[in-house]
Amino acid sequence: MARGPGGLAIPSGDATAGRPAPSAPGVRPAVPGAPRSDVPLGHRLRRRLPAAASLGLTAFVLLILFGPVLMLALFSFNDSSIISLPWEGFTTRWYDQASSDSQAIDAVLNSLLVASIVTVFSLVLGMLAAWGLTRLRFPGRGFVAGLHGSVLVVPWLIIGVAGLIFFSELGVTLSLQTIGLMHLVVTFPLVVAIISAGLVRFSRSLEEAAIDLGASQLQMMRHVVLPHIAPSLAAAGIFAFAWSFNNFEISFFLGGFEQTFPVWVFSILRQSENLPLVNAVSTVIALAQVIAVFGAWRLMKRLTRNRGGDNALTELVTGGVR
Amino acid sequence: MESASVPLEASPARRRRSRLRPLAFMSAPTALLAIFFLLPMVVMLVIALEHGVVSGQSGFTLSNFTDVLTDPLYREVAVTTVIIATSAMLIQLVIAVPLAYVLAFKAGRWELPLLLFLVLADELNPMVRIYSWRMLLGREGLINSALMEIGIVNQPVDALLFSEFAVIIVLATSYLTYTVIPIYAAMKAIDSNLFEAALDLGAGWWTSARRVLLPLIAPGIFIALLLVYIPLFTDFASPALVGGTSGYMLGNAVQDLVLESGDLNGGAAMSMLMLGASAIFAVVAYRLSKIRQLES
Repeated sequence: MARGPGGLAIPSGDATAGRPAPSAPGVRPAVPGAPRSDVPLGHRLRRRLPAAASLGLTAFVLLILFGPVLMLALFSFNDSSIISLPWEGFTTRWYDQASSDSQAIDAVLNSLLVASIVTVFSLVLGMLAAWGLTRLRFPGRGFVAGLHGSVLVVPWLIIGVAGLIFFSELGVTLSLQTIGLMHLVVTFPLVVAIISAGLVRFSRSLEEAAIDLGASQLQMMRHVVLPHIAPSLAAAGIFAFAWSFNNFEISFFLGGFEQTFPVWVFSILRQSENLPLVNAVSTVIALAQVIAVFGAWRLMKRLTRNRGGDNALTELVTGGVR
Repeated sequence: MESASVPLEASPARRRRSRLRPLAFMSAPTALLAIFFLLPMVVMLVIALEHGVVSGQSGFTLSNFTDVLTDPLYREVAVTTVIIATSAMLIQLVIAVPLAYVLAFKAGRWELPLLLFLVLADELNPMVRIYSWRMLLGREGLINSALMEIGIVNQPVDALLFSEFAVIIVLATSYLTYTVIPIYAAMKAIDSNLFEAALDLGAGWWTSARRVLLPLIAPGIFIALLLVYIPLFTDFASPALVGGTSGYMLGNAVQDLVLESGDLNGGAAMSMLMLGASAIFAVVAYRLSKIRQLES
């Protein structure tokens, strides 16, 4: 992970190493704070300052985003029941303990189960709605589109509380099903947003051409549309899975006696007991997530290869928010 | 513009099918949202307008709302919440604007890997991230034990954890992905020569950034506010785990009302107020982003 910013300008170092002495208190390249006083110091410094500041900023951001999690992983191997210096020696006993802790295992399995099912349903509903909203015209389309969009800005806390009240009024027992249902409600509109962005970019004349040349609706979908939105579909699937797997707010209010992984971590941290166990489980989860994201990246690179690869990927990342 | 797939001279049967097609595509998603998104909101509003069970009265009332709004304790919590959410947002923008600039114009072949790292940062479990910060900042945490080992301080610095400061730090690192990406998207859409030209013509860094870059990326900043400020404002996991009593936020108040004191009516009223505030904020941010887009 440390290889991140290395190639920007100067071989990588820590956050402060590459920054020239006279400059800026913070790490701000280019935009506001870079001092004007660098002009008299000549062109070389003026050219180098932005590059060094860029590198410093990037290193700083990677440090605050991933540094704490790396420390957490490191201390899952520390042979001490309190998470603190000094280092007491290497051990894997927290992993042994975690592998026989039924609460931890249940929580992780619950999260995997819910996220898998939510992802499948999100993709199906999301594709239907994205197609309907971008390709079909019907009365009330504006309202329906607004409804899908509004879900994305309603805070999960509110959805959790409203769901809790709703199900308790109905007399429904809270369980993994209620968690999954409300996850689906917040996740599939995200899929709609990502796939719609893909469909809007994709020229409709190709679809018309396919129909004119005698393709059936289904053939057109299968051979023309699907290959084009495959990267969007993959991205949507990954985000849907992550949103459900990582969701804390909704699972917390709607789980009843059943715990997902984030809820389990929360409850252990509230009691502040047996923390190294949390380190061990968290490390495994984080590692799996790293592998998943890099795997997905490779998959998407393959899917977009014949359409300008890297450009298509940046388009994909930015497309959903335009 | 008829549906792309319908030829102009469609047979009556085909036309009927095409009229039914929106129903086939849209009914399931819309029904799901109507039943499990809109309806719970309506139920919550009704509960917020009902008398509590303890009062023994029936009928509708506004007292749940007035109780929440007039309680000086909640007013204090609201102020803390706004301070924490706004500080975290400002920190993120101060980092995100230059970072988006670096990504869009300076990173070159590192652009995509760095974007991937940003996506990865978002995929990592937020609870794991909160815990990792708590581990660093705590009384017996790594920063304190390192400081004591070196001998800079004799006593652990308590202020690091269970403070507004801790909540701000944790929140500021939790949503960075969603702050950077809209601004990055806005920067990608502008011509980098514009900024370089302003520099070449003798405008300083600050002037060029303020007069050229900032107006062009304003829509992206408003989208970032729309995506990030609302979750910051309603967060309750971070304050519950690293906030202590001084970092108590509105989200914690809702949680305590609903789950600890079992006051569903009060919790519902507070949730409705937060929902209203979020909705107003969302509409304003969305409009501003659109207006800016039209101007530029």
